[in-house]
Amino acid sequence: MSLAAFPFLAFFLTLGAVLAVVLDAVARSALAGAPAGRYLAGPLRQAAMRLSGQLVTTEAPDRANWRLAPGWYGALAAAGLAVVPFDEGLALVQLPTSIVLWGAVEALVVVVVFLHGWSPNAPFPLIGAYRYVATGLPVMLPSMFVLIGAALPARSLDVLAIVESQREMWNVVRQPLGLLLLLIVGLSLTLRGPMDYADSADLAGGSSAEDSGPARAMWQAARLAMLVAFSAMAATVFLGGYLGPLLPGPLWLALKTALVLVLMVAATHLLPRMPVSRMVTFLWVVLLPVSFLHLLAAGLVAL
Amino acid sequence: MAVGGTPVFVAAGGGILGAVEALRLEPALTPVATPRAAQVLLVVGEQRPSDRIALARIHAQLVEPRATVWWRTDRLSGFDLGTRAPESVSDAAAFISAQATQSDAEAILLDDAPPNPWEGIGPHGQGGKGMMGGTPYGRPMAMTSDDLRDGLSLDAYTATFGPYLTQWPPGLIMETTLQGDVIQSARIVEAPLAQDVLAATPHLELARLLRLLELPALAERLVRAALANPSRAATGLARAVRWTGVLSAIPAGLGRDERGGDVRSRMAGRLHALAAGRPAEPAAPGDVAAMLAGLEWHEAALVLASFSIDDLRRAIVSPAVRMAKDAA
Repeated sequence: MSLAAFPFLAFFLTLGAVLAVVLDAVARSALAGAPAGRYLAGPLRQAAMRLSGQLVTTEAPDRANWRLAPGWYGALAAAGLAVVPFDEGLALVQLPTSIVLWGAVEALVVVVVFLHGWSPNAPFPLIGAYRYVATGLPVMLPSMFVLIGAALPARSLDVLAIVESQREMWNVVRQPLGLLLLLIVGLSLTLRGPMDYADSADLAGGSSAEDSGPARAMWQAARLAMLVAFSAMAATVFLGGYLGPLLPGPLWLALKTALVLVLMVAATHLLPRMPVSRMVTFLWVVLLPVSFLHLLAAGLVAL
Repeated sequence: MAVGGTPVFVAAGGGILGAVEALRLEPALTPVATPRAAQVLLVVGEQRPSDRIALARIHAQLVEPRATVWWRTDRLSGFDLGTRAPESVSDAAAFISAQATQSDAEAILLDDAPPNPWEGIGPHGQGGKGMMGGTPYGRPMAMTSDDLRDGLSLDAYTATFGPYLTQWPPGLIMETTLQGDVIQSARIVEAPLAQDVLAATPHLELARLLRLLELPALAERLVRAALANPSRAATGLARAVRWTGVLSAIPAGLGRDERGGDVRSRMAGRLHALAAGRPAEPAAPGDVAAMLAGLEWHEAALVLASFSIDDLRRAIVSPAVRMAKDAA
């Protein structure tokens, strides 16, 4: 059963990444007032060009970590998606504590992004890496509260059980704040828009400023893969995953994942990014207490 | 023609920033923020001869096959590579795109060697005494020093940034001592270059700020409005920018100028100017280098972008000009 999910996983990741590129291009063109399609062909052509392009190196980089970082990032996305059930009882990896595995994926993204910024031995990537760790840590703490909150109604840490607990009512209805908090986590995990502290514009691309050729294409692809994995997980934990009438389960999951993708893309293009010190203060002083209160409320309701 | 744009790194000089914005919108080109992602080095506008070393360094970072194109400027002496593109924006875009695929690879102009000799004094050729200090290859070794922000003693290092950073005013060169992402001290080496009239419209000044706030799509909308008619009041556009919450994203009191304004109030002033269809009020930055000390890199970039290029030029007297004045 779980072997059958392998090609499905690859298909899901690819399809999701393509959809994310299209949504990004549509949002960008619409907001910019640019002709439709202006940003559609660019990413694909550049990915193709870069895969065959030259790989330039810096002076005395940590080569192993630099080359491996995009691979780790992509692997984390795949590991996260592997515990997402596509249909009743159908997940590539079935664990009694699968939501904890997703939590570990989130925490390890901080390590991988730091390695990616630290290893080129250059100022802008390094600043991006520092910043990401500074914001990544206080983002992961609310994330754990949100995930525990979502697991409470199911009384289980198994994502399958969390989906089944939403047969009567989706978690987004029980805990609307949880989805909002998780979306902030997702923006941070995928280095997007208001939470793009690692690959930001003021650092000429930050942790990927020195990336060239295939390494650049790989890193961007890994970011897309993480976006798809996160969206599928958010749809599973808060929007009932594969549950739904008439249509088959995997299709419901795909539709709900697409809905989360739309929210993520909209947030990317519509919300400004605060300077890092303001964001760190906001995360520790506002978001962390809010997420704790959210967990308390979720616990009381679940009792 | 191939679909999608040719990735181009734009090395902007003087009197050109508004025209560059028009060129950036051409479908044949995709402007990128780093030479590592570019196929073509596009040198535009009036260039200072002293910047040719910086230009050669950027050229060396391009991905092979390297190609250089000059637009609305002549080749710098000592940088005899590349061809000049036609003057008009659309012809130039087509020309640049064609260069990326047709031209032969250009060789690197700089020697692939450290810029300075090794100057370590330790017994194993390392920097200073023991394993610390010294100036290996002419770059001071990063050493711990007191931190301005939170008392953590991190390694501080000094490096020169500019003149071609796309997120800074073109031509600005600063020697900056950084500790993590905090600027410990900054010294201005060269003032930004004067720009064309279009670059001083509230549209383009806001667009530069919005890019730093990760809102490139809205920035492009402003650029398109400026290119269509820079003097028309754009009330709806100003409201749309406000609704994203940009003003509350910027900390209060950041980058206080001599008249008590900060980044937030200067941005709000630009939004008013945009809605009213007039240019923004000038500001008096005072001592720019002192203003940046203690700021985080992103905050510093916002402070620089919150002033018009003319404001910055008035406040920063180029060291070369100052020396000439002193001599006179």
